[in-house]
Amino acid sequence: MENNETPTKENRDEMKDIVTRVVDVAKSKNLIFIILVCAIPLLTMAMDGISNIFRNWNIFLPIPSGDYILYITVQVCVYILLAVGLNIVCGYAGLLDLGYVAFYLVGGYTAGLLMRHLGVPYWFILPIAILNGALWGLIRGAPTLRLTGDYFAIVTFGFAEVLFRVVKNEIWLIRDINGFVKDIPRASIFGLELNQNWQHFYHILILTGIVIFVSHRLQHSRIGRAWIAIREDEQAAGSMGINVSRYKSLAFAISAAIGALGGAFLAQFYGTLSAKTFEFWESILILCMVILGGKGSIKGAILGAVIIGSLSEVLREILLRFPPDYAGARYLIFGIILVLLMRFRPAGLIFKRT
Amino acid sequence: MEQFFQQLINGLVLGGIYALIAVGYTMVYGIIQLINFAHGEIFMLGAYIAFTLVTFFPLPIWVAILVGMLFCAGVGMLMDYVAYRPLRNAPRLSALITAIGVSIGLQNLVRMIWGAKPQTFSEESLPAFFRQVSPLVEPTSFFSFLGSSFTENAIQFTENVSLAYLDLTIIILAIILMVGLNRLVTLTKIGKAMRACAQNRVAANLMGIKTNKVIAITFAIGSALGAVAGVMVGVRENINPLMGFHKGVAAFAAAVLGGIGNITGAMVGGLLMGLAEVFGAGYIDSLIGLFFHIIGLGEFYEAEKISHSYGSGYRIAISYIVMIIVILIRPTGLFGKSSAHRA
Repeated sequence: MENNETPTKENRDEMKDIVTRVVDVAKSKNLIFIILVCAIPLLTMAMDGISNIFRNWNIFLPIPSGDYILYITVQVCVYILLAVGLNIVCGYAGLLDLGYVAFYLVGGYTAGLLMRHLGVPYWFILPIAILNGALWGLIRGAPTLRLTGDYFAIVTFGFAEVLFRVVKNEIWLIRDINGFVKDIPRASIFGLELNQNWQHFYHILILTGIVIFVSHRLQHSRIGRAWIAIREDEQAAGSMGINVSRYKSLAFAISAAIGALGGAFLAQFYGTLSAKTFEFWESILILCMVILGGKGSIKGAILGAVIIGSLSEVLREILLRFPPDYAGARYLIFGIILVLLMRFRPAGLIFKRT
Repeated sequence: MEQFFQQLINGLVLGGIYALIAVGYTMVYGIIQLINFAHGEIFMLGAYIAFTLVTFFPLPIWVAILVGMLFCAGVGMLMDYVAYRPLRNAPRLSALITAIGVSIGLQNLVRMIWGAKPQTFSEESLPAFFRQVSPLVEPTSFFSFLGSSFTENAIQFTENVSLAYLDLTIIILAIILMVGLNRLVTLTKIGKAMRACAQNRVAANLMGIKTNKVIAITFAIGSALGAVAGVMVGVRENINPLMGFHKGVAAFAAAVLGGIGNITGAMVGGLLMGLAEVFGAGYIDSLIGLFFHIIGLGEFYEAEKISHSYGSGYRIAISYIVMIIVILIRPTGLFGKSSAHRA
């Protein structure tokens, strides 16, 4: 009892341990990386400052404005979030999902329509969109539980295409043609509207961080191990006492919920939704990210999303200078990436599985 | 009733086209268990090659179809050699992802070369009896037979039911090719080799069949048939870089409906899918309207114009929905054997 007042030798050792551990963490690359990522807005501001100085001397540097880079960074963060979400079904549970864009669409339109037409605040929308996404994940998941391989892929693809047609055609629901929802209000904190790109950068950074954390914890939990067992051999997993349908449904629901979260963020970030954003190619783009990095690895999904997401934006920018028919060259390159990856490195850039 | 018969004719023509494409999917699946996503793109490529030949080096359409078939057969074999053959023993999903990659690549390559705008075969490049005749001009009847009159581009059964010679040619050509394919697979040596490969590739190889060659020939035949269908769609509707994607998925759905891996199934599935699409698109608006009136929401329906253009808007979705339902309820399709390993 008296030990509580005066630290004993053991307690001192413990404290030393804690101090060394904190120093270790600070020394580790991860923290530096996190600090660097958090400082991206500062870096872009510095870039703007430098180019402003040069502009005063009538020298125009061929670098894009910092705000534009931030805008792209936000999009890349959304792609990271989506790739990590898709990784749950594609990587952990090992089912090829060709229609992930469907959940992105559900989240986007849930947020867009409720915020635009009913004026529900964004922070209420987020949980609604997540729950709605999970619901649609279950709706799609329930009948497809017994499907594997190509047939699962085809059904997911068909499901996404049907949802795409629905938002394109149901004018009474969307209240505009071609799935347009315009003037979606942006998120606000205490009455302060978030309308700067750097604010949204931190906003999506927090969301993505939470998603990565959840996905990481899931991977190393009982649930994650069950998913991997199902991926490796569904029958063996079932006979070991894993409830296959339950864990598969869980994977569908969580993955779909993450997709819907990404969609809800984008709805308020862009301020406009159109059916064109949710075409089949978007699913393939996200799939490409997961496969490039390596299925089943969070780091892989992040790496893939950063590479493909920024490549996609850079190519879009470059191709704007060519005739409009060349806009498809982006997808030509992604197609070639997919073929080459499957041929030479089917497990992706970061390979973890044994 | 007249509308019904006209829809029936349109459905049969579309069904013939779908059957030709579906055969390509089903043959490849039968042999290497791969959903060749890029088959739709081969179909589109056939249309573009024929279009280019007909427009820029004025060749007759028949020659263009033949060259298109040869070209697509070559592309199909090349695709197999470059993309799929190295993955023969890899997990099946790797091959499927490769197929998607090839599909996106080809589609956008075509878009870069020929442009994204839909194009149509010019009137001069087609034989006279294939041309569209302006509906304002009264068709001149050359002779009549059993109450139907033969005009310069169509057979008029009654005033509102007609069968264009173009559509008649498509149906006849589809039947000839289908019968030919059937003979090839059942009677010739290469057909026997194909069936052997479909049953068990390893065993076929051990028996001295060059399986890689057989697979390449399968790709070539499927692609050539796809090219014919591509030109037909091009002449009948238009050609655009997305046609392979849209018609390809519908044809794939037809192959699933008939039982994937089964050639007869693909033919029947194609016909049914064509009919389903045409009748679905033709009658869905009135059916949904009727439904709303029956459940007493007729006024809401009229006010919100809930389904005023479902026929055109959901035309493509019909095939997706049929496909999903078939996969969920009877994954082996109408003609497939109930083998567990397929699903």
